[in-house]
Amino acid sequence: MPILNINHQSVHIQELNQNAPETIVLVHGMFSNLSVYYFSVAPILATHFHVVLYDLKSHGMSEKTLSGYDLESMTDDLKGLLDTLKLKQVYLGGYSFGGLIALKMAIRFPNLIKKLAVIEAPDPSDEKARGIIEEYSREFLENYIENFTDTTKVKMGKRQMEKNHRMYEYLFHQTSIKDDMILEKDFFEDSAINQLDQDVLLLYGLTSNCLDAGKNLNQKIKNSSIQIVDGDHNIPIQEPQLIGEALLNFFQRK
Amino acid sequence: MDTITTKLSREEIFNLMKKFITEVIGEEFVEEMDITPESSFTKDLEMDSIEIVSFSEKIKAHFGDQIDFTGWLSSMDLDQLINLNLGMIISYIEECQS
Repeated sequence: MPILNINHQSVHIQELNQNAPETIVLVHGMFSNLSVYYFSVAPILATHFHVVLYDLKSHGMSEKTLSGYDLESMTDDLKGLLDTLKLKQVYLGGYSFGGLIALKMAIRFPNLIKKLAVIEAPDPSDEKARGIIEEYSREFLENYIENFTDTTKVKMGKRQMEKNHRMYEYLFHQTSIKDDMILEKDFFEDSAINQLDQDVLLLYGLTSNCLDAGKNLNQKIKNSSIQIVDGDHNIPIQEPQLIGEALLNFFQRK
Repeated sequence: MDTITTKLSREEIFNLMKKFITEVIGEEFVEEMDITPESSFTKDLEMDSIEIVSFSEKIKAHFGDQIDFTGWLSSMDLDQLINLNLGMIISYIEECQS
């Protein structure tokens, strides 16, 4: 299992087509892990690019950490990953919470990011988007896993249920993730978003609760385009081929 | 790296897969299960996708370039993945060896 030590933490990564000259880094969402891309979107991109996937802290097979879930810390981790892999400039994509991390990364380190793809990033000021953090309960968890989990559409059995429950319990009740997210509520008001220079592709689902966030970003970012696809917040699971090809076309375009 | 060169029988592949599954999901869970070639990955073994990533890596480490297991899985759609059972994997590895 490829594990790197980044900012004093163990980080699980996976790489595809390591010999390609240009690199795409993909960031997954909250309560998910790199497998959301590994078998579907990543192999499509790896036909032309070196693809790097990693598990965020306390997710997948990366080390558990009590604090540092704000976008500044999350992008420190991503910067550490690029440094460790000696990647000077990359194409970057992020899904959901990973989309916010990707946006923040392009703002903080514009010279490192050639192009940016944001998939279904929510507006952190939207109470509904943050609501899952506050309304958390066992019943809610069961409903969430059954309907919204973005790693599989299979209804979970006992072992998976308990494994996921342990992750939610840990993230919600032991780490600073709740507080860190609330502190990011004005992120879309950051004027730096309006000053992004890179080409930005926004991918959103037609019936997603986050679609307005995508339209909002499209108005703020000068070199952006929005592509709305059939589906809801789970478009990378619902339409992996379409998302993979949209990303490939966007990153390949000169 | 324990890349092999000799051809494994169906039974040997089955035992190897059982060993990998045990390493990925943990002995305490495997003890409660009756793993057979009919066991489905998602329904019976309850493996989620990050565990299947680990399992794929073990196959890669063991067989090297001889078997493109990740590529094979990637060619499946979600319904095929849901229906994937151990016997299908054994057959795939057997084919790649011949």
